[in-house]
Amino acid sequence: MQIERYDTDVLILGAGGAGLFAALHAQQSAPEGTKITIAVKGLIGKCGCTRMVQGGYNVALGGGDTVERHFMDTIQGGKWLPNQDMAWRLCEQAVVRIRELENEVGCFFDRNPDGSLHQKAFAGQTADRTVHKGDLTGIEIINRLMEKVLASGVEKLQDHRAVGLIPTRDKSALAGVLMIDMRSGQFRLVRAKTVLMGTGGGPSMYKYHTPSGDKTMDGLAMALRAGLPLRDMEMVQFHPTGLLAGDHTRMTGTVLEEGLRGAGGQLINHAGQRFMFDYDTKGERATRDVVSRGIYAEMRKNNDPAQEGVFISMSHLGPEWVAEKFKGMVKRCTDSGFDLAGGRVEVVPTAHYFMGGVVVDVDTRTAMEGLYVAGEDAGGAHGSNRLGGNGVANSTVYGGIAGDTMGADIRGMSLRDPDEDVLATEFERATYPLTRKPRPIQPLRKELQDLMWEGVGVMRTEAGMNRALLGLSDISNDMMDAGVDGSNTAFNLTWHDWLNLRSLCDISEVITLAAMARENSRGAHYREDFPDPGAMEDSDFTVAQMDSEDVEIRREPVQFTIVRPGETILPEGSPETLVEAP
Amino acid sequence: MTTNILKVTIDRGAGASSVQSVFNVPAYDNQTVLDVVSWVQQNADQTLSYRFACRVGMCGSCAMMVNGVPRWTCRTHVSKVLNGHEIEIGPLRNLPVIKDLAVDMDPFFDKWVAAEAVHHPSASRKEPIAAVDENSKARVAANAGIECINCAVCYAACDTVTGNPDYLGPAALQRAWTLLNDAKDDGRLAILESVSGAGGCHNCHSMGSCTAYCPNDLDPMSAIAGLKRETFKSLFKRGL
Repeated sequence: MQIERYDTDVLILGAGGAGLFAALHAQQSAPEGTKITIAVKGLIGKCGCTRMVQGGYNVALGGGDTVERHFMDTIQGGKWLPNQDMAWRLCEQAVVRIRELENEVGCFFDRNPDGSLHQKAFAGQTADRTVHKGDLTGIEIINRLMEKVLASGVEKLQDHRAVGLIPTRDKSALAGVLMIDMRSGQFRLVRAKTVLMGTGGGPSMYKYHTPSGDKTMDGLAMALRAGLPLRDMEMVQFHPTGLLAGDHTRMTGTVLEEGLRGAGGQLINHAGQRFMFDYDTKGERATRDVVSRGIYAEMRKNNDPAQEGVFISMSHLGPEWVAEKFKGMVKRCTDSGFDLAGGRVEVVPTAHYFMGGVVVDVDTRTAMEGLYVAGEDAGGAHGSNRLGGNGVANSTVYGGIAGDTMGADIRGMSLRDPDEDVLATEFERATYPLTRKPRPIQPLRKELQDLMWEGVGVMRTEAGMNRALLGLSDISNDMMDAGVDGSNTAFNLTWHDWLNLRSLCDISEVITLAAMARENSRGAHYREDFPDPGAMEDSDFTVAQMDSEDVEIRREPVQFTIVRPGETILPEGSPETLVEAP
Repeated sequence: MTTNILKVTIDRGAGASSVQSVFNVPAYDNQTVLDVVSWVQQNADQTLSYRFACRVGMCGSCAMMVNGVPRWTCRTHVSKVLNGHEIEIGPLRNLPVIKDLAVDMDPFFDKWVAAEAVHHPSASRKEPIAAVDENSKARVAANAGIECINCAVCYAACDTVTGNPDYLGPAALQRAWTLLNDAKDDGRLAILESVSGAGGCHNCHSMGSCTAYCPNDLDPMSAIAGLKRETFKSLFKRGL
């Protein structure tokens, strides 16, 4: 196999909220004649999780709500771990980005009777702040962005998988990205002056997970190998209510939306009893992390493989009302054989979002010249927990910023020559399974998912994580003996399953090591052996980095650049919340 | 649980070059057509190619022909389509096949752009968001088609697309109709011109397969009828 060489000026990896916005903004800000290329593992507009956003988009648009209040909610939700400058920029720029989405991109969000934007409050918010389009907000945002990008003349590399970041010989800058054209199996080194990585994390190494099938931590695995520092890697957000439908169906793990609990949905255990009030005074309306732990504790108490999950029940609210209010969700359940409006649906906590990511500055620049990171691949904005509605705000805000920054930086940059040795190593790494005897990959993926769910999941202990590390090393070694039939490399899904598993194994190890290093419980990270959150003033975050062959974890103090724990930037006398009690 | 076996026939490729493979797949209680296809690739034939992403009917990338009918495979329960114990799965009609069950959706999206089915801004990010009455007649008409996820099921169902490769097809035209009714869109003339051209709305014979097969219960046929009326009106006005 040969590696084709291809040059562009701006390369964007990923076509979710971050990638699509970066493409549009780069086109607006870069000098005329700049070649912009967007590469995606599947199809533009179809991949990634921005599209799957149900709830909506957090933005302070007046009516008493302010950027300051949004910021304080984000910091408190993240348990004082967020990078405050990033969180501030997120809240501040969301105001501009939502106008851009409506006025320039053409989105239409739900309105109040007076014609103004309708906003609602998710758990953890102190104002009605979430702009939405029914419960299908992501579809509206991505469809409209997709149209704009398709019509923009930006070059498309669809069904292109990135397999390695290739630096310059002196490792000071990024030269390009090694990719596989999945349709043909052809390798292609795409050189670019600037590269945005917006491949979107996605904790799909857990038995139960929500992200789309294309998301397998490829971006973070590439960044790790390239020696970039990754922060908050222990922070995996579990959504409390994932559908449980069996091991053999891809439906399992997909989200039953947050709004069901907000509207009064009840969680029922194996004995037919409500249990969430045993764990929190807010019952089912507590935040995602609390409800996830409550469900997990009940599952563990019951310990019955034949009836693993708990149930969500809506029928007491009136099946007809439920069917009308949650039309999309009820139809989805019906199509899959479940009666959400009138019956009970079995649910489990499900790995949903990854707060960890590459260390970046507020302009999305990284430690490597020429590489920019935005969206779920970037760490810092959410700290230890992401508020519902801050995910799509983050990807669209920082994707746009990345486009602007690259458009400006590119003026002083030229194409760089790659380190041919790294290129050869990455090529060998990606083609390795084609040289081994074929063996099914799926059992190994399942083993990994069981292992991470058991050992590094909703609740963690040192002993459990030690076991997980041993198991991870076994699976990692085992998969190096599992080959893939390489007689035809065109659209060879099994080859990509192998590469997916490789990325997942590599990042699973980092998650586990970071989780072992954090000996306290913050936000999404819960240690049964260290249940206390620790002093907020002494907050630090983990940074993982590859040191030759090994992953090293260090801890860095949080810089309280805008507000210190116990303080607020809201004016004196501000009410604690503007949201009326349900 | 796996007492039953499904006989699954997969059409690999399209037209004259199509080859059929038959697989015995264990049946489960909760099982979609996508699960069946995945089982084959994971357990019986490593080389099978197909496309999916979200698993829940949001991305529109897993549509295939199931017993000759276009469907989202992720949201189609096997029990709904079983023919005895048999099921036949093929690549989505009216699009070029890349390999096996994976199609190239570019022609579908090229037509989307050609139909001017892209927002034409009338304001910028510097201006406030316009107040819109959701109950106004125009907005109700715009909202009718807004939940389209561009899965191309209607495009595959449409015999006019099969007969005329230049026809823009139901999804792109429905999006154009949505924009025509969107008070914020400034592209009325461009849209009317593009949808009244050679591949435009007047090719539609109102056979209604688009509306019949839309998994989201949308009604592209009525949207296209709306475009036909508007293009006639505008022609009439210009004629005067």
